[in-house]
Amino acid sequence: MNLVNIKDVLTSFSPALDYLALSSGDGRIKIWDTVKGQVQTEFADIASAEETNIYTSGGKGHLSVDYTCMKWLSLERKKKRKLGTSIIVLGTGGGDVLALDVASGQLKWRISDCHPGGVNAVSSSTKASCIYSGGADGMVCEIDPHSGNLIRKFKASTKAVSSLSVSPDGKILATASAQLKTFKCSDLKKIQKFTGHPGGVRCVAFTEDGKYVLSSAVGERYIAVWKTDGAKKQSASCVLALEHPPVFVDSWGETDKNGLYVLAISEVGVCYFWYGSNVEELCSAKPTKVALATEDSSLKQNKGSLPTIFAAKLQGILKPGSANAFIASGLLVKPSFQKMVLQFGNDLVLNASKNGILLPITQSASKSKKGQGVQSKVTTLDRAHAEDALLPIARVADLHEKKRVQPHSSEKDTDMVDQSQADYVETFSMEDKLRSIGILKGTDEPSSLSYTSVIDGIDLEAHLPPKKLKSAVLSMAPSTAFKNLEALVAMWQTRGCGGRYMLPWIYSIMVNHRHYIMSQEPKNQQLLNTLQKITKSRGAALQQLLQLSGRLKLVTAQINKAAGKETQTTVHEQESDESEDEEDDVEEHFYGEKDNDSELSSDDGKDEDDTLMEEM
Amino acid sequence: MIRGGRSYVTSAPSFSNDAKKLLVCTGNTVSVFSAATGLQITSLEGHTAQVTTLIVVPASSAAQKILCYCWTASLDGTIRHWDFSGPELLQTINAQVPIYSMVIPSLLSEPQQTDKRYDSSKLVAYVSVEDTSLVREGSTELRGHIRRFNLAKERLPRGDTLKETEEPKSIVISPSGEFFGIRHKCKIHVWDVPSGGSVSKKMTLHHTKVINAFAFHPTERIIAAGDVTGRVLIWRGFGNRKLALGSQKKNARAMVDLDNPGVRDEDDAESCTTWHWHSAEVNVLNFSSDGAYLYSGGREGVLVVWQLDTGKKKFLPRIGSPLLYFIWSPEPTLSSVVCADNQIHLLKMPSMEILRTISGIKPPPSLPKMYEGLSSTVAFDRSSGIAALCTENYCVQLYNLLNDRGISEVQVCERNHQPGDEITVVVTAVALSLDGSVMSTTEVKLPEDGIGGLVSLKFWESEPDSKTFTLSTIVYEPHKDAGISAIAFHPTRSMAVSTSFGGDFKIWVSNSDKSQTDKDSSWICHAVGSYKKKPMTAAAFSGDGTVLAVAAENVITLWNPDKNILLSVLGATLTPITKLCFAGKSEFLVAASHFPKPELSVWNTSKLSSSWSYGLRIEAITSALDSSTFAVLALVPKIFRKSKSKKNVFRGRDGAILLFNGSDPKPVSIWTVMKAEGGSISFLEGDKSQLRLAYVNGSHEYVVFDPNSDETHERSAADYEGLVGEEETGDFGYTSMYGELPDYDKKRKEDAESLVTPFVSSERPWETIFSGSTLNFPPLQKLCGEFFESLMEKSNSVVE
Repeated sequence: MNLVNIKDVLTSFSPALDYLALSSGDGRIKIWDTVKGQVQTEFADIASAEETNIYTSGGKGHLSVDYTCMKWLSLERKKKRKLGTSIIVLGTGGGDVLALDVASGQLKWRISDCHPGGVNAVSSSTKASCIYSGGADGMVCEIDPHSGNLIRKFKASTKAVSSLSVSPDGKILATASAQLKTFKCSDLKKIQKFTGHPGGVRCVAFTEDGKYVLSSAVGERYIAVWKTDGAKKQSASCVLALEHPPVFVDSWGETDKNGLYVLAISEVGVCYFWYGSNVEELCSAKPTKVALATEDSSLKQNKGSLPTIFAAKLQGILKPGSANAFIASGLLVKPSFQKMVLQFGNDLVLNASKNGILLPITQSASKSKKGQGVQSKVTTLDRAHAEDALLPIARVADLHEKKRVQPHSSEKDTDMVDQSQADYVETFSMEDKLRSIGILKGTDEPSSLSYTSVIDGIDLEAHLPPKKLKSAVLSMAPSTAFKNLEALVAMWQTRGCGGRYMLPWIYSIMVNHRHYIMSQEPKNQQLLNTLQKITKSRGAALQQLLQLSGRLKLVTAQINKAAGKETQTTVHEQESDESEDEEDDVEEHFYGEKDNDSELSSDDGKDEDDTLMEEM
Repeated sequence: MIRGGRSYVTSAPSFSNDAKKLLVCTGNTVSVFSAATGLQITSLEGHTAQVTTLIVVPASSAAQKILCYCWTASLDGTIRHWDFSGPELLQTINAQVPIYSMVIPSLLSEPQQTDKRYDSSKLVAYVSVEDTSLVREGSTELRGHIRRFNLAKERLPRGDTLKETEEPKSIVISPSGEFFGIRHKCKIHVWDVPSGGSVSKKMTLHHTKVINAFAFHPTERIIAAGDVTGRVLIWRGFGNRKLALGSQKKNARAMVDLDNPGVRDEDDAESCTTWHWHSAEVNVLNFSSDGAYLYSGGREGVLVVWQLDTGKKKFLPRIGSPLLYFIWSPEPTLSSVVCADNQIHLLKMPSMEILRTISGIKPPPSLPKMYEGLSSTVAFDRSSGIAALCTENYCVQLYNLLNDRGISEVQVCERNHQPGDEITVVVTAVALSLDGSVMSTTEVKLPEDGIGGLVSLKFWESEPDSKTFTLSTIVYEPHKDAGISAIAFHPTRSMAVSTSFGGDFKIWVSNSDKSQTDKDSSWICHAVGSYKKKPMTAAAFSGDGTVLAVAAENVITLWNPDKNILLSVLGATLTPITKLCFAGKSEFLVAASHFPKPELSVWNTSKLSSSWSYGLRIEAITSALDSSTFAVLALVPKIFRKSKSKKNVFRGRDGAILLFNGSDPKPVSIWTVMKAEGGSISFLEGDKSQLRLAYVNGSHEYVVFDPNSDETHERSAADYEGLVGEEETGDFGYTSMYGELPDYDKKRKEDAESLVTPFVSSERPWETIFSGSTLNFPPLQKLCGEFFESLMEKSNSVVE
């Protein structure tokens, strides 16, 4: 197994997360545009280039510089200009601290030999009012980011300062060698000391509210969480365990408000994510892992360059337990950037893109593969295919069809035929009207219901003779029968299924389980009410429909008389008959519900009534 | 408030003296870019109209190279002096007339004395201005004036006028500062710069074709000119007679009798040679700083380097877009080429390789006349703030509006790499699904001599890693021969609808829903629908995706998209509907139509009736997802814009964004905008908390702002330049524009519940206003008001 070591890679996102500065140890800094996914600029040799001008000594080349730490800051101008300058602060192994103006690509300032023996860490608060740097000499320097002047300097530790961090409000400074210390930034007084790490601490981070410090030492496979406002000497409040030592730690959220989110990247390029509403919960939380898919065989053969996650930053919180993170992953030569939602508890596996590597595949094979791949992806539909539709042509596609299907509106349609100003005539459906009154709900509910035509032993689609139906209903337990009734009423209300199938069931259940239903009276008041409402409204519509159908018959008869058509009339006659039948049925049923003892009407009557019901 | 998409190419950029910075005119500001990284360093803000000229004060000695002073001139009528290292405004001079071009010869000719010149109040500038007092439609007055200003004086007098032309011309100055000139049709007028207080002398060179560009040689008396047909002319030894200095006059006289080959008429030049290479017009001409080479370029997108003595050529081909400017820097190894597609290329000089590109938003394509107004060439991804913009060369550029940066480009169909060729394919529409994962484009291959036309519809799936789209499905002739009028995506599922002028619409679904393999998803036709064979002109899905509204000319049909059932029909507007939009999740449906009579109408889908309408021409509609808020981009009627009393309100702005809330016909707020024609608006809903409105104007400049911002924000917004200005809350702006709204009686309407459209043809007072002899007309001012009122109060007359 190849372990890619990302310990030596320096990364820093710009505050707006639109650029990523990346330095992989050869003294060059690449600025990646995270929006485009391309290199914006590359800085090589900045330090020595400046020197050649001044000392006229030969350039030492970028390989002679070794950067040890990097931090991207954006400086606020006092005048509130739109573009604040963006600088990258770098520490070198030679002990220099330098700042690079990103936009102009020039060295902004440089402090030579700030920390003899090498700079180990730079940090600043979110406001970037000043920069702190720590080095091998155990000193911490406070630097003005605008001018590069050394403001003050103090001894933080007898050993080398390996890492340091400033709290987001800029008031507390945490320095770390093996021992973690916190200082007040105003007077540099020591506040607390945390001991417990065996070696040099590699990463230190404050939580957003500044109440906790997260730290991890070299080689340790856990992150220690320390409370800042406690006793002078303290042991860790809790530890977060990882499978590999972490190289980067970030956190978001406040303990009081929306919980604590911790993000860490381990040495092998796996991202870990913890969430807890408080520290205790955080401690017991099992980390969520984000990793890249590594089973790709072609990549395993190349030694040394496996795609990893090498930079990440928490951006914000969506809801408790899930946060937005910006992640840079892939190969260092061609990282890809994505904003993703980390849901606590759901491990993620990202696809590793193979962009930027030369794959060791023979040319001919790759060529043919590529060609096929591209071609098979695109589907082409020509004119003939484009006309094939999954669904038949719309039922109400044009005038003549509409006549048949929507008899109640065809009266107006005939007007359209006659008159040229057809546009002023409205065609409207009952469905919309019902929906506007509130009897119908949105149509997305029925679509889900309509497919579940079998409810707890009731096969709605099947035609059962009344006796079988009765026996089936009787065989039900009263409670299930009641449940079925509720479901049926809901279905009828939303018209998930035709009334033809449902009404007998409803009727039968109500007749046979009336005692149970009555016993449920206080609860099912609601149910009976809806049932009554539906039947009433549908019954009420009948009178109008009848009138309509009567007129319709008249009109069609007249038309047909004029046109000499016979077929249409018969259709409409049939339909008017249906509606008459239906009236009776519904009325009957309506009363039946109250009395619980009337008989079922014949099946064919139901059949016809359902056709109208569906249209309603 | 985010502003961006500025054009970098409205006027020539300029290098700073140390060649490390590049100053670019970007609308009302000057942006300073770093030549090393291509990133913006700072910007000079202060002008209130477009900056037209930018002059960096040159350094005469090495020590002065760090000096960063520049002069700018703008259409707002001011000339400003800046220190751009700061950046700091040093001086403002008000010339009161729009300045189109400015040259300051004394900066070039005697740079060593510049300091003295400031004191001696002798900084003379020659400016090309437009005399606004003469602006009137159709007037034949000569509006363009070339004037001489003394910048050292605080307040400028009118200045001496040297020349009057129909249009303001750009002035070209020789690098030595001795001569300047303008091109005017087939002629070049050249003046010399008088050393003392004397009046400058003028000469003219003639040509047979319209001259497009010309340049002066840095040291010798040579003029190069390029014409519209692609010829490059070199005049040598111009002005020996007319512009000669006093001491040389005698010698010059002696040369009169000599034969001057190639020189037309009695022009004052020794010789004229013509070089042929360009096939189309020459836009760019510039001599190298030492005068040994001449750079030329034009519509072909090829930079040609001519060796002046021999006429030998070198090329930089495949720039890909017509060239606009070529400038060299004080550093001999760096120069810059500016292209029409809003890109500035920095060239490494002797080898002419492109080092770095500063690229902006791409300009919109030039569409053939018949497609203007019909196409929707901007689409928005609401969550991520990405806009998909159709540009030249059949590209769709994906542009991040929040970061002001292009992401990638999608080549919709094969392009011809020779820019400036005839357009044979038109990308008519682009649409993005709500989650931004699918893009759909339509293109029309224009028929040649009536045959070979082809309409195709393409679906593109996004690739999250490479941030671009790959083609998933092509549908050739989706609606037989008819063109596609609109595409709309389902808000939650992978479903789209395309409508055609041929009278049907098709619902497309992606079959990846079922197979669950996201790699090979393809789109197939799910359903076809039509209504009385009427042309389908617009489509929209409701907020929850359960209802599909399709406009069939002037009626709106509502469909169930899953089952393909016609639910109902909303009665008619007066004119064919071009745009449809549901107002969020509410029952209101917004429809816009503009030909032949503009109308914005709001329909209540539950009552199947019209709620209210305005006679406004609408360019774009957008609605918020969750609330019933919607915004429209309306073009302010021309007749109204010109009326004098309102002129100060609009100040050249031709459009307005009106924000409505549901059924209320009173707009919540109004913003006036520029270049609204061809513009587009959309709500952006990246963060749940913040609702922002993005407006992209006709030339792809854009602004993203919070429509609900309070007073303080607005003031800061007003400080910005005038893309969006004049922010007014409530109905103050509205009443000032349109007069008091009629008291809207909503209850009455609901009681009536008339399902027939209330749009009975009302009485039309404007028809009577304009009838009769012109002598009887009321004064124009009164007429405008009445006319507009009659347009606006249409809905009122219906209600009563």
